[in-house]
Amino acid sequence: MNFDKKLLEILACPVAKGKLEYDAEKNELISQAVNLAYPILEGIPVLIEDEARVITLAEKE
Amino acid sequence: MSENTPIEQETENTTHFGYKTVNKEEKVKKVAEVFHSVAAKYDVMNDLMSFGIHRLWKRFTIDNSGVRAGQKVLDLAGGTGDLTAKFSRIVGQSGHVILADINNSMLNVGREKLHDLGIVGNVDYVQANAEALPFADNTFDIVTIAFGLRNVTDKDAALRSIYRVLKPGGRLLVLEFSKPSTELLSKAYDIYSFNILPKMGDLVASDGESYQYLAESIRMHPDQETLKQMMETAGFEECNYQNLTGGIVALHKGFKF
Repeated sequence: MNFDKKLLEILACPVAKGKLEYDAEKNELISQAVNLAYPILEGIPVLIEDEARVITLAEKE
Repeated sequence: MSENTPIEQETENTTHFGYKTVNKEEKVKKVAEVFHSVAAKYDVMNDLMSFGIHRLWKRFTIDNSGVRAGQKVLDLAGGTGDLTAKFSRIVGQSGHVILADINNSMLNVGREKLHDLGIVGNVDYVQANAEALPFADNTFDIVTIAFGLRNVTDKDAALRSIYRVLKPGGRLLVLEFSKPSTELLSKAYDIYSFNILPKMGDLVASDGESYQYLAESIRMHPDQETLKQMMETAGFEECNYQNLTGGIVALHKGFKF
């Protein structure tokens, strides 16, 4: 099941409350403000801080 | 302190899991275990335990939501999607319903059930913690949380978070077990909850423990007036509640203006 990109209009980072960006390649939702990547499992975004991955500096370059 | 030492006082780092006092992180884990365990049998158990009355409680919630075509609704802790199914039909294709739950087992059971019912197109699924909702400010016309707030560790944080994501003019509906209004009903309800319910859970879902937690967590949940005050503290206005089935369940309503 695919992630519905229309959802981005109403979703926000649960930590920073700002916009999320969809990374189609990694199938993650990115919160630039706090460097967190949230997984999308079977089309369902998992927007819980403890489940997020910290984006490394190396990745950003 | 050993594991068996009872801790009497709730502190900054502890909370209730049923009648036990546990660390806050532990409660999150234990509640998750309960719902991973009961997800598959959740609907049949609800029908059995409540003699089907939970359907009337949910119907009453929809009737009190004032929901109209085109609106955005958040069904928080929506579990297996009973409210979402009803909202989806009413808001239509111009509206949008989000079914959110912290537990992915419940979400997956819910999504499967709604797909089987042909409910697609205007429903999306999000795994989220009610204490830190992943939605933009002022997004929803209606937020419902049915039989969910009881399991949230920090209820005040959840109420504030709900307030943030509601549009001005939007309303919150909390459907939850509450305090029976008469002594007699209270006694009968206790006997049912602590003697019959866990046995039923054991028999039908092979999980008496989860249903023992259910009975205990209901007793620990704030009563009607306390919950109303908590909603007011979080910023909600014109808060009121209606008792259903003699106060075994109450529907609280509050507005963001």
